[in-house]
Amino acid sequence: MDKKYGVYICTGCGIGDVLDMEDLVDVPDEEGINCTTHACLCGKEGAALIQKDVDDGKVNALVIGACSRRVNFDVFKYDNCIVERVNLREGVVWPHSREKYPALTEDQKDDEEHFDQIQMKAEDYLKMGMIRVEKVELPVPFKTETFSKKILVLGGGITGISAALDAAKIGFEVTIVEKQAKLGGYAANMRSQMPVVEPFEELIPTVIDEKLAEIAQYPNIQVKTATEVARIAGQPGEFTVTFKTPGQKIPFDVPFPLPEEMTMDEKGDELDAETLHAKYLEFNEGKNDILQLDPEGELYGAVILAAGWRTDTLEGDAYTHLGLDLPDVITNDEFEKIAAKGKILRPSDGKEAKSVVFIQSPGKDEDDADFPYCGSVTSQVALKQAKYVRNDYADGKAYIIYQHMRTPGLQENFYKSMQQDNGIFMTKGAVTQVSKNGDDLTVEASNTLLGDAIDIKADLVVVSAGMVPVTVDDPIINLAYRQGPGFRDNDIFGGYADSNYICFPYETQRTGVYAAGAIRRAMTIEESMEDATGAALKAIQCIESADRGVAVHPRSGDMTYPDFFFQRCTQCKRCTVECPFGALDDDEKGTPKINPTRCRRCGTCMGACPERIISFADYSIDSIGSQIKAIGVPSEDDYDEPPYRILALVCENDAYPALDMVGMNRIDYSPDVRLIPVRCLGSVNSIWIKDALAQGMDGVILIGCKHGDDYQCHFMKGSELAEVRANKMGDALASLALEEERVRFEEIAIDEYDKLPGLLSDFVEEIEGLGPNPFKGF
Amino acid sequence: MSEKYLVQPDLAYIDELEGLGADTLKKCFQCATCSVACPIAPEDSPFPRKEMIAASWGLKDKLQCSGDIWLCHECGDCSDLCPRGARPGDVLSAIRYSAIKEYSQPKFLANAVEDPKKLPLLIAIPGLWFALLAFITMTAGETMTKIFHTIGIEWSHGGHGIAQANFFSTWFVDLTFIPLSICVAVVFGLSLKRFVIDIHENAVAEGKTDKKTIDIKALLQALVSIIPVVLKHDKFNECEANQDRATAHMMVLYSFIGLAVVTGIFCVVLYVFHIPGPYSQLNPVKWLGNISGAALVIGSLLMIKNRLAKKDQVSAYKDWYILGVVLSLGLTGLLTEMTRLAGYAEVTYFLYWLHLIAIFNLFAFLPFSKMAHLVYRTTAMAYAEYGNRK
Ligand code: SF4
Ligand code: SF4
Ligand code: SF4
Ligand code: SF4
Repeated sequence: MDKKYGVYICTGCGIGDVLDMEDLVDVPDEEGINCTTHACLCGKEGAALIQKDVDDGKVNALVIGACSRRVNFDVFKYDNCIVERVNLREGVVWPHSREKYPALTEDQKDDEEHFDQIQMKAEDYLKMGMIRVEKVELPVPFKTETFSKKILVLGGGITGISAALDAAKIGFEVTIVEKQAKLGGYAANMRSQMPVVEPFEELIPTVIDEKLAEIAQYPNIQVKTATEVARIAGQPGEFTVTFKTPGQKIPFDVPFPLPEEMTMDEKGDELDAETLHAKYLEFNEGKNDILQLDPEGELYGAVILAAGWRTDTLEGDAYTHLGLDLPDVITNDEFEKIAAKGKILRPSDGKEAKSVVFIQSPGKDEDDADFPYCGSVTSQVALKQAKYVRNDYADGKAYIIYQHMRTPGLQENFYKSMQQDNGIFMTKGAVTQVSKNGDDLTVEASNTLLGDAIDIKADLVVVSAGMVPVTVDDPIINLAYRQGPGFRDNDIFGGYADSNYICFPYETQRTGVYAAGAIRRAMTIEESMEDATGAALKAIQCIESADRGVAVHPRSGDMTYPDFFFQRCTQCKRCTVECPFGALDDDEKGTPKINPTRCRRCGTCMGACPERIISFADYSIDSIGSQIKAIGVPSEDDYDEPPYRILALVCENDAYPALDMVGMNRIDYSPDVRLIPVRCLGSVNSIWIKDALAQGMDGVILIGCKHGDDYQCHFMKGSELAEVRANKMGDALASLALEEERVRFEEIAIDEYDKLPGLLSDFVEEIEGLGPNPFKGF
Repeated sequence: MSEKYLVQPDLAYIDELEGLGADTLKKCFQCATCSVACPIAPEDSPFPRKEMIAASWGLKDKLQCSGDIWLCHECGDCSDLCPRGARPGDVLSAIRYSAIKEYSQPKFLANAVEDPKKLPLLIAIPGLWFALLAFITMTAGETMTKIFHTIGIEWSHGGHGIAQANFFSTWFVDLTFIPLSICVAVVFGLSLKRFVIDIHENAVAEGKTDKKTIDIKALLQALVSIIPVVLKHDKFNECEANQDRATAHMMVLYSFIGLAVVTGIFCVVLYVFHIPGPYSQLNPVKWLGNISGAALVIGSLLMIKNRLAKKDQVSAYKDWYILGVVLSLGLTGLLTEMTRLAGYAEVTYFLYWLHLIAIFNLFAFLPFSKMAHLVYRTTAMAYAEYGNRK
């Protein structure tokens, strides 16, 4: 692209009042770049002015000095142009006022004593913007060689069936894979279910039969029962899927990565790539490598994971008091099976079970936790099953002892209506003992709403076993990915197939695989059906995005993807290992292989690469590095007491918008800080920090999202890796004779904007305590 | 705190309470707003939250013998604030009525009073009885005089002109009501004995008292000490939602006391001084009687009005029955007197007959109707005082 530069500066919104426009315009002028100012660039006239220049072919690389890039993005949008927004409003004139930082008088201007911190910041930002447009390129979308729009649904229960129907109705080809011999899942084995529509009051026959009948009407739904997925290779848009009969062993079964202890020699050093690959093949004997595609495999565009749950097995010391070994103490799952067969009869002697106690929480040791993997569903199941007892016997009594009774949303009506039944008795309480009493059982409970200690005589006791997502036992999706067939670190989600279920439902840690139903969290049939719709829409979004060569999520629409300069790759595998989404595979030599449609464009690989050979069209080591170099670092040669310079690399997902909010609220922070937004802290390469310090900047602060088990990082691992890397910088700093306190890592959530000014001044103060960087002026 | 309690829900009991106006009891979700709202609930295991769960579990054994249900004055503050519309105030009222039925013997009477279908019978029996006695009074005066003379007593108390005694012998009145009162007293006595033992046991089991045994003397002392509270309606007035009801209720209570005093005095006048009625309107005792009668009518009308106006309180048959009895008692009494003074003999005699039926209903069914709360509540309050319920 032949770049034609143009700078546009808005003087509205206070920018022109605070800044010395002449001096600012001098910055592009000195570079020989045309600069236009306007009193309201985002207004009709201002926008038309820029559009005209674009249309006339005068510019295609624009620097717009105005508001934050988070606003008016629809106004300053020009096809086939590179646009850089310089944040003069939220970033400069709004947080810093002239009352606090008065403009210089004519005399002060060149006296080597006074300087204008606001003006300096604005000029730096403008320079940084100008260098960026010079360094970045327009992206070219990635296209896969082959492309399939078919959707694969794993699991033929209510969720899978609903998702398949939803996708099929829109016109997509869908295949449902079900391990069992017939579709229907758990719902097909229930007596009745909770309501799915208003008024949410009565039990209804399960809706599964209707759904099964509906499936038959869609020729674009293919059903494969008694089948499982041996492996899913490739990437969204071109997943190559190998099916097999459950239990069968075939060469295209998915291989597993080497366990960590096998990747090292006796001395604990990592083995070289080729030995590793040999060991890996040996470890996975009889299975083909992940990169070998099954010529018989079927192509799919995206996968919906609806493999569901299994009932929990309750055993161990925590439950000894519940008498689980007694024949008439059963789980809710066993109870449902009895109920589905007919009247509720107890297993030991077939007697009519007219007094049934439902236990919702183990209740020992003052602990009010529910059984593992329980939730609102098990509460509702208890209500439902209590109603079975009442429906079967006019004199039946059903007791529910709970620590938590959860009936979210309109299921509250269901609770209310069950509660209305004279023979259903509920109390909060801790079950202390279940014991045999003649032919019957006695349930003892303490801390109940009826008083401290109660005894209940029961014919049958039902404990509420949780719904364990099948991903706890097995990878299920069997991805032929270098990082392994399942989801990594899935235990922080309790084994549920999820990546961040609050912000990004359906999203898993693997692009193109969307989870729905009880594999994501315990869900009712109603919730599962709704979830299925969500996941189906995500799968479609993924297919359509991949087809256009853009990212799906969270950088939806991003056309860039990582590009490797392989000549300099040392096969160190950092990128393959650290990619949070398993987007990179590697060959037997360890050379990375990019799968762009799996990639989320976080840049974590770019931050990881010690050779700095990974880049994106509009985001690279050089583009950010050059922006850092464009920051003016005044030294004693310039002023008697030069201002400090602090670099802040801020995550553009939470921290950057939070800083905009600081500006909008006109809260001041040190104007000596220069912000550079980054895709994710994971994309921060240590070289930027080293370069900043080497060029005399006094400190570098990284501000990103919270990490850990309840992380908020949009790319899961990015901010965590950034902290690890920042901590490792200690040695490098020491070799430069710099204090390690000059580099700091901070976490911030978007709603904590008010903490940011304090956090920044804190850092600046600490740096001032350390004194200026000795490299200043070199 | 207390020993193990074997839960035995009684489904029929839940049905019964629901029939007595507590049809919302199953709605409670145990938030305890009501217990916080109740102005007179004690701090220690306050009501009515715990009564609500006991009721929805059908724990008849726990509720029938609870003293707490009687401490409630049915102000309805709790019902106003209950987020679920479970109307705990009405539930307690139903529980109390069920307890009255439980404690009063014989059962068939209790059941008859509760059943609207039996109302004609409850009216017809005294109606026929009094009609028979009136017939005797009016037609067999001489025979009666003879019979009475053989035991040395004067038959007729009838004065001149229109006198109720000419229509209905005072002897008959007393021969009806005195044995009736004794029966009622015995029924109450027996019930109360059981009642006190039960509420004590329940209080001990639920840790609501610091007393281990019942000390009758101390209990009686407690009874004396709460009488001013009852008279002044202190508890009643503690409930904010209740100010209007307190006035009406107080009018009715005081008019009953007034009428009792008047009846007592005239009894003495008649039997000791042998002065038969009707007595002069200038007599201060007569004033008291008239004022009380008027207060009874106004008070009961106010109560009816309040009940009709209250949207958050349901009124069941048990409530209307007793209000009906009280109102007709007052009305027939006053009208009897007025028509007598106006000189309408037939009318006044007829009204007197109705009046007698009303009195009979009130007295005879006292232990079985809602009116029995007078006795149970007072006893329970005395026990709470005695047992240090705080
Ligand atoms: S680290 Fe991020 S940018 Fe790099 S390949 Fe993985 S997903 Fe893509
Ligand atoms: S991190 Fe860089 S050098 Fe290492 S394997 Fe990846 S691309 Fe190659
Ligand atoms: S009766 Fe109403 S206020 Fe009282 S505990 Fe129940 S729901 Fe709450
Ligand atoms: S009706 Fe009044 S006195 Fe009775 S429990 Fe409710 S608030 Fe308390």
